[in-house]
Amino acid sequence: MTAEPSPSVPDCLQLPAFRSISWQQWLPAQLASLPGRTIDLDTGDWSLSCRELDELLTALHAAGHDVHVVTTRCRNTLISATALGLTARLATHDHPAGEASADQQKRPESIAGLTVHRGTLRSGDHIETRGHLLIVGDVNPGGSASADGDVYVWGRLRGRAHAGRQGNGNAKIVALQLRPLQLRIAELVARGPDERPQPGLAEQACILDGAIAIEPASPPFAAQQP
Amino acid sequence: MTNSRTILICSGKGGVGKTTLTANLGIALAGQGARTVVLDADFGLRNLDLLLGLENRIVYTAQEVLAETCRLDQALVKHKQEPNLALLPAGNPRMLEWLKPEDMQTIAGMLSERFDYVLIDCPAGIEDGFKNAVAAAKEAIVITTPEVSAVRDADRVIGLLNTHGVSPVQLVLNRVRPKMMANQDMLAVDDVTDILALPLLGLVLEDEQVIVSTNRGEPLTLNGSASPAAKAYGNIASRLQGEDIPLMDPAKERRGIRARVRRLMQTKIF
Repeated sequence: MTAEPSPSVPDCLQLPAFRSISWQQWLPAQLASLPGRTIDLDTGDWSLSCRELDELLTALHAAGHDVHVVTTRCRNTLISATALGLTARLATHDHPAGEASADQQKRPESIAGLTVHRGTLRSGDHIETRGHLLIVGDVNPGGSASADGDVYVWGRLRGRAHAGRQGNGNAKIVALQLRPLQLRIAELVARGPDERPQPGLAEQACILDGAIAIEPASPPFAAQQP
Repeated sequence: MTNSRTILICSGKGGVGKTTLTANLGIALAGQGARTVVLDADFGLRNLDLLLGLENRIVYTAQEVLAETCRLDQALVKHKQEPNLALLPAGNPRMLEWLKPEDMQTIAGMLSERFDYVLIDCPAGIEDGFKNAVAAAKEAIVITTPEVSAVRDADRVIGLLNTHGVSPVQLVLNRVRPKMMANQDMLAVDDVTDILALPLLGLVLEDEQVIVSTNRGEPLTLNGSASPAAKAYGNIASRLQGEDIPLMDPAKERRGIRARVRRLMQTKIF
């Protein structure tokens, strides 16, 4: 880290850790130190509604900056960002965005932590995490979940899921009811099965012989330590 | 008014019955004695006035109210047969260019001071028109039909309503065909509620009388029609007021031969 007063990495605008002041007061001073035209936005713990985020983006746009990726630790902000059509990432509490990426450069195989999302992913919602992803709720048709590690759905998976986003072929997708539209593991893509799954049987998808296969979920389906 | 309720009626997909529900629910609520106003937020393609048969009575619109060139009570169009119901018409489509969510909040705020129920007829889609309408709403009714595309769009809208903090959100399933559901040619009620996970406020059967009433500009609930859709709209209004009325069962509806004969007799052939 350089001796700059702002903790932000280059091309990344990080909102202050505590919401003590409104961003309208805080932003003008930061704009001068922003170099690039396209920037990443790290909203930290801020819970921003669709409208608040839209206002912030409009202010940034007026100053000549377009936001490319939004990183957040708050689920509401994540959904607001996806609703506005941005690429959004959920950072876990112990791994803020900056550190996690630095971590990954050091140990490319390592997967940082487990992100837990409570609630249903509805059509158009999209969640993307580094590490494993656990969704306590359903993934509805039109919704999608992707993770660098495994994707677990404690509910019905009826949308799309992508495990091992960075190319980890050992990643798997587990759901209490696996009825996806599409599954992806690493670079492989598979359409969901046409027939309905057996009720009351948790299933998992993983790569077997170079193709995605669905089988009953093996009991110790907790994340294996890398 | 402190216990005034501002309810958004939306669907995402077009043509599933938002405006029809708004008109019929407005009449039904007014008929039950509640002071009700319907607000047309569909500025681009307004036709709530048409369904209520009030098109030729419009003098001022929401546009003039916002510009303060007229008073609110000048713009409100009172329904001729149902004095408890008023309509605030949408202005011209060019309003879309400058209307802001705050403007809708202003209008809804003014209306909620005078009425028990403010029903907002939302435009289709999830773009600016929807964002404006949702800003003014406190609760919402999502209407959908048992079709995959309508359910998908409704799901998207529910997600957006949640992020905007609108609660409670209730569901109305429109254009239900019991026979097709029984033959599994149509999504079943359970399939829809399974995906959307919302409390069901009402089921409305497919009914030709709806088309007749739309063309006449007389909502079905107005004349105490005994058609199945009119009954369903009345029940939705009662449930909204807190009455506990059991939901209609599509399977039973199909079997009643007497009901079918009655429906046949209502169909205006002559």
